[in-house]
Amino acid sequence: MKVMMNTGRTIPQGESVERKHSPEYESAASVCFIHPVDMMVLGIEDGAHIQLSGSDGIVVLTAAASETVEQGSVFVPLGPFSNHIVSGETHCTGMPDFKSTMVEIIPTEDPVPSVAELMESLGGVRYAH
Amino acid sequence: MLIKDVVCPFCGCLCDDLDVEVENGRIIRVDNACTLGSKTMVGDDRLKAPIRRDGKGWIETTYDAAIEEAAQILLEADRPLLYGWSSTHGEAQSIGVHLAELIGGVVDNTSTVCHGPSILAIQEVGHPGCTLGQVKNRADLIIYWGCNPIDAHPRHMSRYTTYATGFFVKDAHRDRRVIVVDTRRNESADVATEFVQVEPGGDYAVLSALRAIVRGRGDVVPPSVSGVSREQLVRIAEMCKNAKFGAIFFGLGLTMTAGKNKNVRNAIELTDELNRHTKFIISPMRGHWNVYGTNEVFTWITGYPYAVDFSRGIAFYNPGETTAVDILRRGECDACLVVASDPAAHFPKPCVEHLARIPVVQIDPHPNATTHVCQLQIPGSVAGIDAAGTAYRMDGVPIRMKAIIETGVPNDTEILQRLYNRVREAKGE
Amino acid sequence: MTELLIRNACVFDPLNDIRGDVMDIAISDGRIVESVKNNAEVIDAQGFLTLPGGIDSHSHVCGTKVNFGRYMSPEDMRAGRTARRGKMHVTSGYYVPTTYGNSYRYSTMGYTTVLEGAMAPLEARHTHEEFNATPHQDMLANTLFDGNWSIMEAVHAQDVKRAAAIVAWTLSAVRGFAIKLTNPGGTEAWGWGEDLTGIRDPVPNFNVTPAEIITTMISANELLHLPHSVHLHCNNLGKPGNYATTLETFGLVPDLNKNRQTLYATHVQFHAYGGSTWRDICSKADEITKSVNAKPQIVMDMGQIMFGRTMTMTADGPMEFNLYCLHHNKWSNHDVELETGSGIIPVLYSKKSLVNCVMWAIGLELALLTKNPYQCLLATDNPNGAPFVKYPEIIGLLMSKRYRDEECSTLNNGFEQRTSICSLDREMDWNEIAIITRAGQARALGIAAQGKGHLAPGAEADLAIYPIRCHDVDPATEYRNVVEGFQKTRFTIKRGRVVARDGDVIVEGANATFWVNPTVPDEHNVANDPDFVKKFEEYYTVRMSNYPVQDVYLPRGRCIKTEADL
Repeated sequence: MKVMMNTGRTIPQGESVERKHSPEYESAASVCFIHPVDMMVLGIEDGAHIQLSGSDGIVVLTAAASETVEQGSVFVPLGPFSNHIVSGETHCTGMPDFKSTMVEIIPTEDPVPSVAELMESLGGVRYAH
Repeated sequence: MLIKDVVCPFCGCLCDDLDVEVENGRIIRVDNACTLGSKTMVGDDRLKAPIRRDGKGWIETTYDAAIEEAAQILLEADRPLLYGWSSTHGEAQSIGVHLAELIGGVVDNTSTVCHGPSILAIQEVGHPGCTLGQVKNRADLIIYWGCNPIDAHPRHMSRYTTYATGFFVKDAHRDRRVIVVDTRRNESADVATEFVQVEPGGDYAVLSALRAIVRGRGDVVPPSVSGVSREQLVRIAEMCKNAKFGAIFFGLGLTMTAGKNKNVRNAIELTDELNRHTKFIISPMRGHWNVYGTNEVFTWITGYPYAVDFSRGIAFYNPGETTAVDILRRGECDACLVVASDPAAHFPKPCVEHLARIPVVQIDPHPNATTHVCQLQIPGSVAGIDAAGTAYRMDGVPIRMKAIIETGVPNDTEILQRLYNRVREAKGE
Repeated sequence: MTELLIRNACVFDPLNDIRGDVMDIAISDGRIVESVKNNAEVIDAQGFLTLPGGIDSHSHVCGTKVNFGRYMSPEDMRAGRTARRGKMHVTSGYYVPTTYGNSYRYSTMGYTTVLEGAMAPLEARHTHEEFNATPHQDMLANTLFDGNWSIMEAVHAQDVKRAAAIVAWTLSAVRGFAIKLTNPGGTEAWGWGEDLTGIRDPVPNFNVTPAEIITTMISANELLHLPHSVHLHCNNLGKPGNYATTLETFGLVPDLNKNRQTLYATHVQFHAYGGSTWRDICSKADEITKSVNAKPQIVMDMGQIMFGRTMTMTADGPMEFNLYCLHHNKWSNHDVELETGSGIIPVLYSKKSLVNCVMWAIGLELALLTKNPYQCLLATDNPNGAPFVKYPEIIGLLMSKRYRDEECSTLNNGFEQRTSICSLDREMDWNEIAIITRAGQARALGIAAQGKGHLAPGAEADLAIYPIRCHDVDPATEYRNVVEGFQKTRFTIKRGRVVARDGDVIVEGANATFWVNPTVPDEHNVANDPDFVKKFEEYYTVRMSNYPVQDVYLPRGRCIKTEADL
């Protein structure tokens, strides 16, 4: 299913933003809000894992039903999960398309990565606090 | 011990009315803050010492050794990027700019992925604004456009707008009307008088339609613009013209969607137009508690509010070229100093991949996403908690952050000053 | 003890009545002294014109609206840029330079003290931060009270002592230097998008008139014994016919102080228009100067415009909006709760514009028609009329009729009927120039007592040595040399240290900020008044305890204490 990914702040993401390795942050930043009807079409329940692929990458998130999201679009809190698939193109404005990335969604059994794992996959070296 | 009137170091509201209970050098209770502020004040998840990468692992090191290593990294770089700045106080920001000036690097701040487009718009058409108290005391019409204050600036409505009483607005509930404009019915829409739902990417057209109606040219507006009916547009325009004092607050819904700075420009021009009929202001909802401070500091030193490149010797500004995301995406910088921000979490993947390839030094008290892609992290104290310094609220009002506990941890100003001095010394100055 | 001896200086020191004597000046530990020991460093001034350091009594260089002007104008930032060099940081900007840009350029021109034209108390911290980044001039801040709610309440209650108490608390809290009124009452009306049309117009919701605000504040100022007088930007700035408002305002001013003026009227050029529309606008400099010549209690500054691009920025919000409606340029506005307003918009003063030519003439007329040079000081309301780097050209114009005639011949035909500039023969001399660029300011600001603006023993050793041999140069004909000479000092000395030589600033600065602390009896301290505190906490969006500017922002503060007569 092709949808438009919107990203932004949420309270749970903001509350834990200074503790990015906490379970609170990792679940807050890796949730993907989808309209219930779209979830039905995908054949998934609340809490299911889904794989989002954008032009620049692939990431596994946890689905959460929300009627505040329009059908045909999803909302993911801003952070390392959503940014894993946002393009670096800024159209000469300096600002990436954080709120208008087209993504393909499919259900998946894969686990949702941790923040450290995401960074490792990009060439980082994990720091265990 | 109770400390009153503490200033919160989280969002651009810069609430300065927190009451904090401190005991044995620890914060044990925070009153008046929203949940974001409370969690920040009592959070205690900091690095105890500088850490450096050692092969495939990490070891602790000393401040002296860390600063020396950081200095060497910057001295060896041909094109260093100094990024972040928004979550530290102005005194540190000032040194950061001078450091970039000294080494001929690029210095950029988090506006670049937040309200940078708003700055670009202001540079085209200006900014008709005011301090938040003007809104609190006078505004009978508030418009939140492309932002969600309930989630991102939780006390904005109670301190400055919807629920705040003011000198000329004694009964907020009766005397104020709130319009929320967004692509989805967010939490802020639930408390609005009217909600306007715009198709994604449709804000520019809606703003143009409103401008046409305000100018008396509603005849050119089609029956529906980006999902908004002409009838609703006419009603909104009337509300605006009939207001005694209208205030538009806007956020990333305008800066990050298609059109970006042109969306914001259109909103500013609508505000200009409305000023011919009544009093209207527009102001951006700045995210970090001191991002506006970085713009102020950068500007009075260099002339430009972000994305400043010193490689030519002069201060050079060209967003799209000298902005951090573009420099990282192009793989152009060969070293990076990250201060008080977390680009590995908030920049697109290609940028983070490049950070992982080059030497990166981070000055930040918390382990974050950037920690895993840096070589060296130096923890400083936190402004508003154990460091004092200057911050600028989203409307430009400067407030001094207090140090309410003593931890003995050096603050960002000290760390950066030592780094600056070391680099100068090494350059023979 | 650092000692310096300047030899062969051709000194003009009007406050000590020295007019062109070639003499030595001895400096020790930052002050002028009678003599120094033999091992003092010697500078040979080679007979060059030597004046006390320049003092700008009205310039917009530091603070919220100035910084607004900078960051909304990247095109201007590209215009004036210089690279880091020696002790000098990067600079950017031509009409709104960065703080270091301002400081170096003022220093190059021999200026060592600057009064920031407008500081909103709520945002004072910002002004002080920028003061610290303007390191080669001692700074002072005009503090805005024109739309101040508690002041207007005191005015309404006809309670001068209350007004004085509020001023005292505010000035000491925000480390201000003087009372500034910009379009008094009008900035509050602008909070609703309105303006006032005259000094008897009541301010909506507060029911006081500008006349009442002005007279109350003048009385309050004198009760507090402040070094400077009330500093006023009159109502109706920029409107054809506004000279009547200005004269009416001048008529309000009593003579309350024997040491200095009772009112400083700023940038009066913008307030000296006759006619009633842009079509028939003309100069009323003659009427204005007639009034001032008869009133020793009034001092004004020119507010000279010079042709070219510049930026207008003032607390006069409604006026700036009118300019936006006229020119459709990018416009910024920033009203400050409970206090004042501001607006910013770029302008172009063009020789082709009849109106602009009349404006240009008026500024010069004001200076030339005012008999006593202490009563009309040189200023451009930087940058509103022109960037301050144009001061040398203004000096040239005031000293040379020929230069004025040459300029006039390049202007729009027809402007000559609107002004008398072409018929004015007066040519100022070196002494008068020294008065209108430093001695007059020192006296008007009340800082001669602080050792500013003169060179008698005890004074601060702030000096400017200009490469002009004033006994050999005829300024009436050699005006180009005069202009060039004033653009770049041979030496600028601040507190006994050479800070600039031939256009280069050679040391890092350590300026001082002068501020006033009027002490009032406890029963008049508004911080102890529950009503004042309650209103403060209710209507401001900053807590009262967080409002004052902390010590740390004035690393070298110079506090002038006064005793209030309450």
